[in-house]
Amino acid sequence: MNAAAHQRTGQADAAEAFAGWLQGLGGNGDQNGSGGIDWLESEREQAAARVRTQPVPTNKSEGWRYTGLRKLIEQGFVNVDEPVTALTPDDIGEILIPELDAHRVVLVNGRFSDVLSSLGELPKGVRVGSLRDLLESDPASVKGVLTRIAGEGRHVFASLNTAAIDDGLVLQLDRGAIAERPIEVIHLSIGMDEPRVAQPRNLLSLGDGAQAQVIERYVSLGDALYCTNSVLEIALGRDAVLKHTRIQQESRNAFHITGLYLSQEANSRYAGTNIGLGGTWARTDLVTRFAGEHAECDLKGLYLAGDQQLIDYHMDVRHALPNCASRETFKGILYGKGRAVFDGLVYVARDAQKTDAEMSNRNLILSPNAEVDTKPQLEIYADDVKCSHGTTVGQIEPEMLFYLRSRGIAASLARRMLCLGFAGEIIDALGPESLRDYVAEQVGQRLEQAPLE
Amino acid sequence: MLSVKGLKASVGDEPILKGLDLEVKPGEVHAIMGPNGSGKSTFAHVLSGREGYEVTGGSAELDGEDLFELEPEERARLGLFLAFQYPVELPGVNNMYFLKAALNAIRKSRGEEELDAVSFMRLMKEKLKILHLDDSLLKRPVNFGFSGGEKKRNEIFQMALLEPKLAILDETDSGLDIDALRIVADGVNALRSPERSMIVVTHYQRLLDYIQPDHVHVLAKGRIIRSGGKELALELEEKGYGWIVEGEAA
Ligand SMILES: Nc1ncnc2c1ncn2[C@@H]1O[C@H](COP(=O)(O)OP(=O)(O)OP(=O)(O)O)[C@@H](O)[C@H]1O
Ligand SMILES: [Mg+2]
Repeated sequence: MNAAAHQRTGQADAAEAFAGWLQGLGGNGDQNGSGGIDWLESEREQAAARVRTQPVPTNKSEGWRYTGLRKLIEQGFVNVDEPVTALTPDDIGEILIPELDAHRVVLVNGRFSDVLSSLGELPKGVRVGSLRDLLESDPASVKGVLTRIAGEGRHVFASLNTAAIDDGLVLQLDRGAIAERPIEVIHLSIGMDEPRVAQPRNLLSLGDGAQAQVIERYVSLGDALYCTNSVLEIALGRDAVLKHTRIQQESRNAFHITGLYLSQEANSRYAGTNIGLGGTWARTDLVTRFAGEHAECDLKGLYLAGDQQLIDYHMDVRHALPNCASRETFKGILYGKGRAVFDGLVYVARDAQKTDAEMSNRNLILSPNAEVDTKPQLEIYADDVKCSHGTTVGQIEPEMLFYLRSRGIAASLARRMLCLGFAGEIIDALGPESLRDYVAEQVGQRLEQAPLE
Repeated sequence: MLSVKGLKASVGDEPILKGLDLEVKPGEVHAIMGPNGSGKSTFAHVLSGREGYEVTGGSAELDGEDLFELEPEERARLGLFLAFQYPVELPGVNNMYFLKAALNAIRKSRGEEELDAVSFMRLMKEKLKILHLDDSLLKRPVNFGFSGGEKKRNEIFQMALLEPKLAILDETDSGLDIDALRIVADGVNALRSPERSMIVVTHYQRLLDYIQPDHVHVLAKGRIIRSGGKELALELEEKGYGWIVEGEAA
């Protein structure tokens, strides 16, 4: 087959594979909150056109070598239509973080839920709400941010999400506003009769000097099979500070896709921790762009993958301006037949002098059948920079295990203690304490169930 | 208490222990001395069940139980304790959590209840004091970033907490200054009892000035080639090992 023919079949596949993801959408406008907003309509149409013309990534495509899409496409996902309204706050008690004091927002299958959210009293200059509502009441307030930060996105899933823009979370902090209590965002999914894909579009925008802490969680009720395809755009103004924890704890049958697109103005600080625990197939893209000097981006991650699980993190950090710092510290624990991918690219343009970039990916492999593909890349075109990267893939050290066992500790507990110790660097940096305890507990539970040979 | 007969062990194809006999009775303290590389640590490791050694002959029983039938944690629960020559650093593993897990595992095997948080803390504080260790040690990862002396004291602290039947101290004195040595020795002496036995591996008489042994053995080339009372250690201090090792070869 020649290249052109190959591409044609690719295109046919894409339109076909994702037909259901676009179902119910289209130019008529009344299905979605964006009806009548010209700039957004145009973005959505262009995105839909990209879906129709871009080929489906294959394992030969850059960025998809280790992350096959067949399993996902085979499910025949169809876009979520009806909102789920039957849930009451009692139904979600089991998924809450004990003792976490936070403003809580709940979205169910991609739709903002007023009934389940408990925002409490928000500080002055802090607004939290539904994208759908905002597009009706004040679309101008998201113009210039929504779809602008992500642009065309990294791949077809971003286009799919943009084509389907309908609802999601919007968090806006005015210049100088400070949210002291964390804002917890629960993306809750429940199974439907057929495999559904929810495509929430989320927006965090912090004005100059604003500060917030956001805890985002992707959670399921039961062992539902569904897909989440979310895009999150984050705009940090000058001197803004965002502490962001993302916990992916979807059901073991779920598919998860996140594209996080971050734009940082001068002197802003972003500290994000990604905890990947759930799903059968999970792909996260973290994309950072600096729009001003002296900005700092700190990306941490911890992922655990066991049987029937693939967890994939792709990072794309671009230093186009001088004097910014970026740091990626990702750790993984693989057991059973678990698989993970770490692909981190840090690009330092010729003008980005005094860049400080550091990337590390360390993995603990507990079984001979587990696998991680790790690919840290630094592309540096400036000459006065401080950049480093390191990656390790190792097993539990026998001396460490023996030391614990020689004190009477059972081998299985000893292994778990060492794994938690390994993960500690990431978990211990989480705050507040209730969140830290919760994540440690979740990680511990998974290790307890893991077959540790 | 401990009965080792004709013990042979190798690493890979290399025989290290070549027929070692040792009888330790309840309450006795035995010192094992011997040149570098003679197999002292190997002996301690083989008894406590470390991987990487193959037992090719002989037997070792603790209170009539065949040690080689047991996993390392089962040996510990039976009352065997090894103070490591090189304590292992466990980054990220909280010392307090570790001690609690160890103590509870051992208490459980003795049919005792788990300690509640308050009694556990009280016990820890009491034992820390014996070793002149600071509370802050509990919050740190096990042995991680500890000084050499802190590591050794932490070993004896664990021994004080776990109250073993038979403790093997592998060069616990090495690298300790004179004050730390006295603290460790006092800690060890406080644990001496008619039921508890100890094997003290050392190169130096100075430790044995504090911890007076009932028997002294010389281990060379994988065998015990000379045994005696505590005066043997003094003789070794004065003359070195050469005279015995050579005498043996002749
Ligand atoms: N894991 C191993 N692999 C290879 N050789 C080993 C191993 N462990 C021990 N040996 C060898 O066995 C011999 C005995 O070592 P061992 O550590 O028991 O000596 P030791 O008497 O404790 O010495 P020291 O006084 O220096 O502590 C040495 O020759 C050592 O190199
Ligand atoms: Mg030794």
